[in-house]
Amino acid sequence: MLKKILIVDDSPVARLILKKCLPQDRDFTFLDAGNGQEGVEIFEKENPDLVFMDLTMPVMNGMQALEIIKKKNNNALVIVVTADIQSKSLMEVAKLGALMVLKKPPTQEKAEKAIRKAEEAFSERGSI
Amino acid sequence: MTSKQQKAVILSATEIDILQEVMNISFGKASADLADIINIKVLLSVPKVEMLNAGHLPARIAEETSGEQGIYIIEQNYWGKFQGTALLIFPTSFSQNLLELFEENEEASIGMDPGLLERETLLEIGNILIGACIGKISELLKDIISYSPPKIMLSRASNPEIFRNLSENNEPAIFMKTLFKLQEHNLSGYLFLISGQESMAWLKKALNDFLAKFG
Repeated sequence: MLKKILIVDDSPVARLILKKCLPQDRDFTFLDAGNGQEGVEIFEKENPDLVFMDLTMPVMNGMQALEIIKKKNNNALVIVVTADIQSKSLMEVAKLGALMVLKKPPTQEKAEKAIRKAEEAFSERGSI
Repeated sequence: MTSKQQKAVILSATEIDILQEVMNISFGKASADLADIINIKVLLSVPKVEMLNAGHLPARIAEETSGEQGIYIIEQNYWGKFQGTALLIFPTSFSQNLLELFEENEEASIGMDPGLLERETLLEIGNILIGACIGKISELLKDIISYSPPKIMLSRASNPEIFRNLSENNEPAIFMKTLFKLQEHNLSGYLFLISGQESMAWLKKALNDFLAKFG
């Protein structure tokens, strides 16, 4: 079961909205990062079960952070949560190994679906 | 302090964060619409939202766009409960390159007068970016918006006088800025959205309602 979730987004409001959309009956532990670089650092230190990653961020963008995280651990489960819905961006994140893309703003239904998909991948791969 | 200034509505830090996220989502939609047409990835930056005294807007926009050797300004007003002015600003070098990108994708442009083509292309880009961005903001905040026809101006350099019409008073206004680049073309442009006190009370409530709907 997924337990530890890292949310990487420069917007505190976006992080809050995502948390509110995730299933409330689950006992998730959340870790927050305000940009890609912080996200990579927390990922290395905390080894989360799942990462939600924004793309447009200062310091280090989500595309770069996703690439670094997947190089460090190819089994890492990363869901991209983004307003950048250009087809080229979506293809790029798929190529970098994101599990899926959740378009902003998320809804409870879509976030629950994302969690179910991550649960399946998590149980197939074991703890990352 | 006048009684009018005392009544001025100011957005809180959290409300500004919410508006920044709404702007982020909305410009994401706008850039996807543009990317579909020119088949080039638009690199987005983190939007910036600030409360500024309206009297400072002309100098601020001129400062943001200084250093450009000639700029095109596409201006469009929008009206709803959320109302204000959108300014899309391109360096002239950007417009020349953008025209080439458009011409690659628009067979209908063949045979048009080059000056007219440039003007019409920029107005169309303005329509796409401003319309999609404002349209998404109004959708997210549950408003219905109408638009004035866009106007285009060419200026040799950016200076506060060009934007003087934005500073009708000294009340707090919302200043939203996003910078965008076209990948592989080293081209960037600016989108500014400016809304004054007439929208502020409604916007404050709409932003809080937006956040509240997530539970």
